[in-house]
Amino acid sequence: MTNLARLSRTDWFGPLLATILAVLLIQSLSANFLSAYNIQILLLAIAVNALVAYSQMIIIAIGQMNLSVGAIGGLAAISFAGAMEVWGLPAPLALTFALLIGLGCGALNGVLIRITGISAFVITLATLSIFKGINLGITEAQPFYGIPEGVKRFGGAVLVGPVPWLLVPTLLVTAILWFTLRRLPVGRFILAVGSNDHAAGLSGISVGRTVIIAHAISGLLAAIAGVLVVARLQIGQPSIGDDWLILSFAAPVIGGAILAGGHVSTTATFLGVVIVAIITQALVLFSIDPFLVQVVLGVLILAAVGLNKLRAGAATGGR
Amino acid sequence: MTTIFRTMGLAALMGGAAATAALAADDSKLALVPGGPHPYFAAWEPAGADAAQEFGLAGSDYKVPQRWELAQQNQLLESLLSQGYNGFMIFPGDPVGAVATAEELAEFGAPVIAGGGCYKDPSPAAFCLGTDTGNSAYLGTKELLAAMGDGEKRIAHFTGFLVDPNTQLRIDAVNRAAEEAGATVVQVIADIDAPEPAEEKINAYLAAHAGDVDGIVTTAWVPAVVAANALRRMGDTGIHMVGIDHDEVVLAAIKEGIIDGTMIQNPYGQGYIGSFALARMRSGCTVKEDAPFGSNALTDKFIDSGTAYVDASNVDGYLDTMREETARILADFEATYLSCP
Repeated sequence: MTNLARLSRTDWFGPLLATILAVLLIQSLSANFLSAYNIQILLLAIAVNALVAYSQMIIIAIGQMNLSVGAIGGLAAISFAGAMEVWGLPAPLALTFALLIGLGCGALNGVLIRITGISAFVITLATLSIFKGINLGITEAQPFYGIPEGVKRFGGAVLVGPVPWLLVPTLLVTAILWFTLRRLPVGRFILAVGSNDHAAGLSGISVGRTVIIAHAISGLLAAIAGVLVVARLQIGQPSIGDDWLILSFAAPVIGGAILAGGHVSTTATFLGVVIVAIITQALVLFSIDPFLVQVVLGVLILAAVGLNKLRAGAATGGR
Repeated sequence: MTTIFRTMGLAALMGGAAATAALAADDSKLALVPGGPHPYFAAWEPAGADAAQEFGLAGSDYKVPQRWELAQQNQLLESLLSQGYNGFMIFPGDPVGAVATAEELAEFGAPVIAGGGCYKDPSPAAFCLGTDTGNSAYLGTKELLAAMGDGEKRIAHFTGFLVDPNTQLRIDAVNRAAEEAGATVVQVIADIDAPEPAEEKINAYLAAHAGDVDGIVTTAWVPAVVAANALRRMGDTGIHMVGIDHDEVVLAAIKEGIIDGTMIQNPYGQGYIGSFALARMRSGCTVKEDAPFGSNALTDKFIDSGTAYVDASNVDGYLDTMREETARILADFEATYLSCP
C-alpha cells in the first residue's frame, strides 16, 4: 500500500484536503483572505469553536449527545464574568470557579443519565433548560461589563505573527485530548463504551463511571470555551453559547465521527472546525445575501460531510 | 442601570400626572413578554414594576422566554394566562406566526398590545408601541452619511435576527437613505444579534474589506457593541460608524471618538406606557377608532415610543432626552388614543 493510500484512510486526510482546497480557492478569489489580520480573525474563531466541538465530540465518542453544551458554556461564561464584577474575584479564581461549574454541570448530566437510565438526549435537553434558566435568572439578560484589563488584554493579545494567545489553551487541550483518547486508559474506556457498552462492561470497564467522566470532560471543555469567549468579547453576554449546538455536531461529523459512538478523531474534528470557520468567513467575504447564508452554510457542510464519506468509502474499497 | 431607568419612570410619571388621574383597575396583572432574552428589553422590568406601583396594579411583570423561538414564547404566554395574568404586552416572536396565540389570549378577555415590534395586521393587538425602526435606521444612516462628509460613501450594514419583524424594515430603510444620498450599501450582514456570530462575521468582514468601506451603520444591539470594539482594536481606520441603543461599550466609544453616534430607543417608555395602557383597557377603555396611529410595513396601528440621535455632544444627557419623550407620550396618551367610560 502506498503512503498516499495509507494517508487517505485516515480521518483527517479528507478534511485536510478540503481545507487546503478551500484556502486556495478563496485566496484566488479574494486577495485579502490570507492577510495577517484575516488569519488572526480565523484563528480566533477556531480557538473557541474547536473547544465547543471537542465538548460534543467526547460525548459522541460514548455514543450519546449533549444538547446542553452551549448552556453549560454560557453559564460558565457569565459565572466567570460575574464573579469578577460582582464579587471582585481575581481572574484566576474566577476562572477556577467557572471551570468547576462547567465540570459540575457536565458531571451532573452524567450522573442523571446513569441514575435514571433515561437517554442523554432527554436529560441534556432538560438540563439545557435548567442551566439556561439559571443563566437568565442571574443576569436578567443583562451583560456583565466588569471584565479586568488583564483578561481583555489576553483576549486580544497576539503570541507571534497573526497567532492569538487565545489559541494556546485550545492547542493544549487538543494535544491533551488526543493523548487521552489514544494513550490513556480513560480515553480507551470512553471509546470502548461508545463502541459497545455491554461488551465494555463485560470487559471490566465501569460503564457508569466512564459516562460520568465523559460528561464531566464535556462540561469542562464547554466552560473553557465560555471563558475564552468572555476574554474575546470583553463582556459577559448571557447569550454566549446559544449558537453552539449546530457547530458542535457539524465539526466532529465532518471529521468522520460515528454518531453511534466508539470512533472519533481529535485532529479531524479540529480540521472540521477549520472548514466550518472558512466556510463561514467565505460567506461574508463574498457578500452572500443574508437571507441565504444559513442555506448555503448548510449545503456546504453537507457537501463537506458527503465528500469525506465518499473519500472514506473509496479508501476502504467500499467496504 | 435599573436605578437609571427608575429615575426615568418617576420623571415620566410627573410629566404624565394628568393621565394617571383616573387610576386603573387594581386587579390588573400584566405580563411584559419579549421575544427572547436580550439586553434591550431589560428596561421593561423596572418599567413594569414602577408602573405597577404608580398606577396601583396587581402586577406588571417582565417574563422572558428562554430562547428566541416562537414556540417557547407561545408556551410561556399560555402558561402566564393560566397563572392569572390578564393583560399582555408582547414583542411578537414572529409577526404573522405569533398572531394565533395573541388571538387565544384575547379570547380569554386579556387585552394584548405589541411592544418593541409589531404583529402583522390583522391581529388582536390593540396597537403596536415601539420604535419606528425603519425611521430610526433611516435617520441613523443619514447621520452617518453626514458624518462621512464629501467623497465616496460605501456603507456596511450590520443588523439583527432575520426572524425579527424589524430587520427587513431596517434593511430597506438603510438602503433608501443611502440611495437618496448617492451612497452604496456594499454589504448587509444579518442574523448576528448574538455574540459569537457577530464577533466572527464582523471581524472577518473588516479584516478583508476595511479598505472598501467608508462607514458602518448597525441596527441591532450586539453588532453595535462588536463593531465598536472592532474599530477600537483596529485603530485609525477612517471608518465612520453610527450604532444603535445604549450599551456601555457603545456610549464609551462615542465619548472616545471611536464612533460617531448611536440611535437611542426608549424601551423603558414602552414598558411604562404599555403597562398604563393595558390597565386602562382592562378598566373599560377602548382604542379610539380615529386615533392618530402611524403605520409601517406591518401595521396601521403604530405608536412611536421615540428615538433620538446621540453623539459626543449630548451623550452624557441622553437619558434626559428619552425621559422627556416618555413624559410627552404619557401626558396625552389617554386623550389621544383611548376612549374611556
